[in-house]
Amino acid sequence: MLVAWNYHYRNSPMDHIDPRARWIFSFAFLFAVTQTWNPQLLAGLFAIALVWYAMGRVSWKDARRGWLLISFMLFSMIVVNTIITGGGAGGVVPPGGQLVWPDGFSLFGRHLTYGLTVERLWFAISQLMRILGISLLFILIPYTMDSRAYGATFSKLGLPDRLAYTMELAFRFIPSLARNLAVTLDAQKARGFELEKVRGGLIKKIARIAPLLIPLTMNAILSSEDIANAMDLRGFGQRKRTWLFALQYHWWDWVLIAFSVVLLVGVTVLVHALGMGGFAVPAWFYTFFAG
Amino acid sequence: MPETLVLPLEVRGLSFRYRSRESWALRDINLNLRPGEVMLLAGSSGCGKTTLMRCINGLIPLSYHGEKHGDVFLYGQSVQKMSLSQISTRVGTLLQDPERQILGTYVLNEVCFGLESLGLPRSEMLERAGQALKRLGIWHLRDHETFNTSGGEKQKVALAGVLAMQPQILLLDEPLASLDPASAHEALQTFRALADEGLAVMLVEHRVEDVLAIQPERVVYMEDGQVTYSGDSAGLMDVVDYTRIKLPASVVMRRAKGQPLPEFKPAVPALNPASQPLVEFRDVRFRYTPDSPEILHGLNLSVRAGEVIAILGHNGSGKTTTVKHALGLLKPTSGQVLLEGVDTTKTTVAWAARTVGYVFQSPTQMLFAPTVREELAFGPTNLGFSKPKIAENVEWAIETVHLQDELPTPPLALSFGQQKRVSIASVLSMRSRILMMDEPTAGQDYWNYQAFMDTILQTPGFDAIIFITHDLDLALIYANRVVMLFDGQVVADGSPREVLADEDQLRGWRVLPTSLLRMNQQYFPQTGRFLRAEALSQFASV
Repeated sequence: MLVAWNYHYRNSPMDHIDPRARWIFSFAFLFAVTQTWNPQLLAGLFAIALVWYAMGRVSWKDARRGWLLISFMLFSMIVVNTIITGGGAGGVVPPGGQLVWPDGFSLFGRHLTYGLTVERLWFAISQLMRILGISLLFILIPYTMDSRAYGATFSKLGLPDRLAYTMELAFRFIPSLARNLAVTLDAQKARGFELEKVRGGLIKKIARIAPLLIPLTMNAILSSEDIANAMDLRGFGQRKRTWLFALQYHWWDWVLIAFSVVLLVGVTVLVHALGMGGFAVPAWFYTFFAG
Repeated sequence: MPETLVLPLEVRGLSFRYRSRESWALRDINLNLRPGEVMLLAGSSGCGKTTLMRCINGLIPLSYHGEKHGDVFLYGQSVQKMSLSQISTRVGTLLQDPERQILGTYVLNEVCFGLESLGLPRSEMLERAGQALKRLGIWHLRDHETFNTSGGEKQKVALAGVLAMQPQILLLDEPLASLDPASAHEALQTFRALADEGLAVMLVEHRVEDVLAIQPERVVYMEDGQVTYSGDSAGLMDVVDYTRIKLPASVVMRRAKGQPLPEFKPAVPALNPASQPLVEFRDVRFRYTPDSPEILHGLNLSVRAGEVIAILGHNGSGKTTTVKHALGLLKPTSGQVLLEGVDTTKTTVAWAARTVGYVFQSPTQMLFAPTVREELAFGPTNLGFSKPKIAENVEWAIETVHLQDELPTPPLALSFGQQKRVSIASVLSMRSRILMMDEPTAGQDYWNYQAFMDTILQTPGFDAIIFITHDLDLALIYANRVVMLFDGQVVADGSPREVLADEDQLRGWRVLPTSLLRMNQQYFPQTGRFLRAEALSQFASV
């Protein structure tokens, strides 16, 4: 059985915005923010994302797991990839630049040299603003959107019924997978399996977690067959679908949609017509590393 | 011709073979169903009941492909000439497990799913859904999340979703399988009432005795894809093999009279009430999260060597939650669970698995190995057994579930019933002192589960056996102690004779007396213990 995300009504501003307007804004933001590395634009967009997130009134407790996952992703991409290994900045950050530690530094009594440049450090900060801004918008969705609204929303946004309902099912896949994983983990623990004791290289580790992965995959396959049968038995996809969940635009939704259009068009014009999209390090940032 | 004069359902010369199989799943089936009739379709697992339903509701050939001869007619029209949406407005199907059928996250949305597919306006959807919910007495659940409803409620929700589409034929595939006895009784009464209102109802069910209570107009018995009996329920009693499907105790006693008795000698050690408990629950309270409702309310329970315990209770009474505590899969919110004297909060599940073997309900959530042999070796390998010991345990476990020929087979390629037996064998192979089974008979037919329980109970090596069941007869035949749970508390604990004595009290706990219980109570002065119907026949004068 597919389960839904842990949504509950909070009477927040977000609860009063039509889901269609929310999706339109979220995608407008996504397309806007991915066009630019300009520090002012990124900072402005990041501030908008923070305000948007605050409108959801989602507590840390509710979204903790989601943020832990995103933190892991951010750490891998930014700290490990950009700062430590120096990757991920190709084509954006020009070669060379000013070293953060031109004379090296001491750690545990040893003198070390490390070629991190100010430009790459600023690129990491820009990446953080961009990815965190996108995360702030999209992590909000499962916690603040009524599970009944997905299919109707995508359908009213113009997607075919089949695709709209597929999107709804896709959103419910992750919490359902988590629930099935918990059951399988319990069943294997009851046979003496200890996840903590999985050791060895990557291949060996994958082989050792097969007792979890295979039942999980098989259940997902069987479950998809069940869902397809259950849908077929109730005539899904045979004619144009109506939706029980009622959607209605209010004036503030139109304001949000207009803002979304202005945001996307504005950033596009600034980036492509006025050439403001390029990567640049603000002058004040260099002052931290001047001495 | 007016539609009412044409039969709702006619099956003519229907044969079907799945594309991937050599044998025919259905062979020359002919039957029909009239408005207002309940047809009971009985038979062992794999006899073709579900395939027949799929041919009627259109899933064959849409989702399941193969070779088909003959045809199915709905009100005189061939299903081959109907679209699935046309079929779905005439034929409503309720699957065995409502969790496999429910799509909506909230009850009202679930009930309206089919109506949305039909493209009905919102007002009509709400009207029809309201009627269906009120008809089944679950109007109060309309804004509940489907996931949080109980097993019985889920089934009613799924049925409401089917009824809202106003079908004229209702196909019910083992609808009682996951229900407690009282919920099953209520469900059957609903099916009868729907038939009395003019629906044609086809009911596939192993629990024949339960269904007979609603007096089905017709009983069809299938074996190996063929109809071997079609007639009234009285006729079935005389022709069908009483070891294959569960018939009323009086019928079995009459037919088994004079027949050789199956030998049954439980192998658990003699009970010593003074012995140290293997498992002990001390005032256990449990809730999943600090904000969620309490599931167990101060549970006290001890398990000693020599006990065969049946845990009974309604859907949602806390049975599974209780046994998971014994293994340490769940830790009490307050109170203590001691396993061989050690607090489970201070141990790992892997450590506990040396003492407690726990068989989960669903085999597909644990089977993973490339062969049955490797599946069975997984547990003992994790516990650090030597290779010869593992091989010995695997052989013993596979023999216990009668699947020796399947050792090289991938477990996931087996039928559901066989997978269930492999999952049980994979726990048996750890040779734990205590065996705990959650609904061990679910998804298995009568003959298979009787044979399996006989084997388990007669297998030496277990100090105690605990099983959760909704089947009262299973408890009274195999258990020497019955623990009754109601709303997270132990409300009765003792011998089957003591706990199952008061019928009114049992009804209050949502457990219904069976004909076997009544017969056992009647003959108890002569027998001195509860017996299966075949054994009781030795004492009866019928």
